[in-house]
Amino acid sequence: MNFKDLLNPSTVSWLFLLILVSQPLFSQSDRNGERRLGSSYVITNTTLIPSPGEILQSQHVLFEDGIIRAFGKDLLIPADAQEIKGDSLFVYGGFIDMANKTGVVEPTIPEKPDNFDPSNPMPEIAGIHPHFNVTDYYQQTNPHDKEWRKLGFTLAQKLPLGKGMLPGTSALLIYGQEGKNNLITENQSIYFKFSTAGGVYPNTNLGVMATWRDLIQNARLYQQHQEMYAADRNIRRLEKNPVLEALIPVIKGQTPVLLEISGELDIQRALKMQDENYFRIILTGINEGDHLIPLLKEKQIGAVLTLNLPEDPSTEVPDGEKSKDFESRIQRAKEAYQKSLALAGKYEAAGIPFALTTKHLPRGDFFKNLQLMIENGLSKEGALAALTVNPAKLLGISDRTGTISEGKMANLLIMTDTLFSENANIHMVVSDGYLFDYSEKPEKLSEEETTWDYEAETEDGKSSGTWKIKQKEGKWTGTITFEDPQGQGMKTTAIENVIITTENMQFSFTVSVKNNTMEVEVSGNLSGEKFSGDMKIVGYGNFPVKAVKRDKPEKSNE
Amino acid sequence: MNRKILFPVIILTLINFTNQAQDIKKGDVFIQNAHVLTITDGVKENTDVWVRNGIIHKIGSQLRVPNDIVVIDARGKFLMPGIIDAHSHVALEAINEASSPITAEVKMGDVIDPFDIGIYRALAGGTTISHAMHGSANAIGGQNITLKHRYGTFNPDDLVMKEAPRTIKFALGENPTRVHGRGKNLQPRSRMGVEAVIRNGFEEAIQYKQTWEAWNKAKNQKNNRQVPPTFSSRLETLLDILEGEIIIHCHSYRADEIYMLIQVCKDYGVDKIVFSHVNEGFKVAPELANNTMGASVFSDWWAYKFEVYYSTAYNAAILTKNGVITSINSDSAELIRHLYHEAAKTQRYGGLSDEEALALITINPARQLGIDQWVGSIEEGKQGDLVLFDKHPLSIYAIPEMTWVDGIKYFDRKEDKTDQRLKVDPEETLEPMFLHADHVNCMSNVDFFFTGFGRNLFEHNH
Repeated sequence: MNFKDLLNPSTVSWLFLLILVSQPLFSQSDRNGERRLGSSYVITNTTLIPSPGEILQSQHVLFEDGIIRAFGKDLLIPADAQEIKGDSLFVYGGFIDMANKTGVVEPTIPEKPDNFDPSNPMPEIAGIHPHFNVTDYYQQTNPHDKEWRKLGFTLAQKLPLGKGMLPGTSALLIYGQEGKNNLITENQSIYFKFSTAGGVYPNTNLGVMATWRDLIQNARLYQQHQEMYAADRNIRRLEKNPVLEALIPVIKGQTPVLLEISGELDIQRALKMQDENYFRIILTGINEGDHLIPLLKEKQIGAVLTLNLPEDPSTEVPDGEKSKDFESRIQRAKEAYQKSLALAGKYEAAGIPFALTTKHLPRGDFFKNLQLMIENGLSKEGALAALTVNPAKLLGISDRTGTISEGKMANLLIMTDTLFSENANIHMVVSDGYLFDYSEKPEKLSEEETTWDYEAETEDGKSSGTWKIKQKEGKWTGTITFEDPQGQGMKTTAIENVIITTENMQFSFTVSVKNNTMEVEVSGNLSGEKFSGDMKIVGYGNFPVKAVKRDKPEKSNE
Repeated sequence: MNRKILFPVIILTLINFTNQAQDIKKGDVFIQNAHVLTITDGVKENTDVWVRNGIIHKIGSQLRVPNDIVVIDARGKFLMPGIIDAHSHVALEAINEASSPITAEVKMGDVIDPFDIGIYRALAGGTTISHAMHGSANAIGGQNITLKHRYGTFNPDDLVMKEAPRTIKFALGENPTRVHGRGKNLQPRSRMGVEAVIRNGFEEAIQYKQTWEAWNKAKNQKNNRQVPPTFSSRLETLLDILEGEIIIHCHSYRADEIYMLIQVCKDYGVDKIVFSHVNEGFKVAPELANNTMGASVFSDWWAYKFEVYYSTAYNAAILTKNGVITSINSDSAELIRHLYHEAAKTQRYGGLSDEEALALITINPARQLGIDQWVGSIEEGKQGDLVLFDKHPLSIYAIPEMTWVDGIKYFDRKEDKTDQRLKVDPEETLEPMFLHADHVNCMSNVDFFFTGFGRNLFEHNH
């Protein structure tokens, strides 16, 4: 190729393609995107809730270039500002999600070598990779974040995935315009879980705790060596250790550790870790342990409660003969259930500025669970704070978002009624100054049952069956037929967690094999009468699945 | 300050204390007219025991006690010290860190489960202290924790017996060779390998110590060229064993392997060692008596795998008569509820006296855990861990009626509720009831290493 060719437009486009293709697959997020150049909007004559508990009537809100420029009763409105009529609307700060993992893929872990010694694995195989950066594994074009934005979320703390105790660093991303680089902050916290990769050291919480102690001590020694070597090149060079290097900001108290917990004993363990070696700590996934609230307050531990509340135990009372103490046992289960609903209210009453996480939460339960928290002691202002100002503070971005104030990011939620009131709908969401209009009512979806014929490719070859899906009182339900893995012909089972939008469909179901149950999640894209996506058998892998909608719904024989 | 103001202040202070849950509860109780089985000072008939602030304050008769103290009328009943189990896995969330032949760095204190109903059941069987141990998958396992059964606390640390010295689990024979040798093709594959793993571990610890000593000496000198060494809590712990700060509790069965470890310990100057299970202990009883802190055995459990065939129910009696500090342990959430039955078996098999038999579950395990100056017998100044039986505890008809730890009553048969769980999962499946639950045991958490071959062979417990 000579120089002249380079100027040839077709060559240039080929080169461009080549550059695109040669990008590694995992770097989906473009970190060099351009900020958009000004577009200004004004919401006129609206009810504004700039921060929880504050209500201002007949306000105009001006935002431009993704920044809230001004709000008030009398504003000088630029001529080019596009008007959003805010009469009868209510404007809130956009929601912030913590410890969120939607759109993040698992990192590729190196293969175990021959003669692998599980007692001394390389850190990545042991699930110890705090140096992994979630932005390398985040797919900005994933379908989920858009759906969360529809519920009012404008910013999320993205967690790295990984099976072990130190999956990597989190990042803050804005749910803004597609195609833009929406990264706000990377290496924002070190994510820690009480979990292991399995089959290698460390394999239980015993090993996790011991490994953490050693890592902290060795990070200190590594730092010492680093300083010595910087001052004197006459000593043995420091062998690069990315794991220890990633932990240095933690021991210096610069980067917090976001610690995922799944019960109160995990909270106790986390506090013990902090007592032994001080570091900044934010607990996420809190679901119980109200008696620990005073202690967490005293130690000023950041708290993130899970929105994924337990199922009401009284809704699933089994049939058949009950044992003698059944009533007292279900009573205790109900009390435990009530206690988990009341937890958020107790944190609020104690004055802990806690945030909330949607991790593990089905989207359809978001407002329902908030409502349950409110019915059980959390104030509406407290709920709003837990979704706006509090996470902003925990994430260290209060100067940029969390409330509606001049100079902050234009992250807004525009409702048709006050938040958490029964008839409130989300009218629009403004994220990073971009407008997402949800004011049009979605097409009324048919209440008729639809039948889909699907075909999945699994390791054992092709497998096929049908899905029957219908909507009843706004809720999707249905069944799936599949070949019994134990060879007993076709089986039918209920599908759950059905979410259908104009572009996507997803649901899950369980298959029993002997005494085990397998969780299967199906998700993919809809285009007309066709579905194409993945079937994820939890713990086994992903398999492609395709389906076609039948013309006429099958009549039920029952 | 007048009284009206003072009173709310006191209440507030109390609330503050309970909130932080840092203080261990201690109680007062006066047990009157019991047959007191002191263990170390014979049986005292019609005797009173007064526990004040968690400590046995006075033993005698006609004691003058404060008017407001709780009085237990124990006429015709038998009071003995709380039973101590020197080998247990109750109240633990995880048991084996089976992923390496040496895991001396892991601590059972990190995985205490205060919600385990097994604690309450143990109390119902008169057991007030258990030695919560790491499993037997590794030649050198984790550091155990001695627990007092203060059931009702939500704070795992409240269960810890703070006075107890550190202990660690070792394991010889088939378990470590199967997990690491056969399971993962690592050393140890044989009993010789087990010895090599332990000796190499100690040698490495000695080198580690030298490295750190050299660094500590050099680091502040001018023109120091040395760089910081790597920290290893594993080797730190092995060093602490060599320096006599940790008592070894070693899972073992065969006489040859027991004798092997005695020799290894001699070579390294370690004398704090207790052997656990020790089914062939009767063959090396004099050696155990002369060189160890004793043996903790089953009364009559054997033949659940090859290395446990050569066994006898006379083991505890033979060891006792040879001067070995002997205890009987449970290693099971079920047996821990009736260790007094297990002790009584030594009267049928070996004719031990009442005092010898009861010592097997009280003062002897206390010695093996290094806690005999605080517990294990009814003596003034010891901790108020007591259990009241309706009949003599070595009678098959005996029933524990009340159990105290630090003078606090944690079990009372008359107040026993159907549901004694501390914590309930809101999403628990309510039906069906399971009569048989999986028992935790020495080989818990190691299953994953055995998928695919000869699994049935390994479905034994110890």
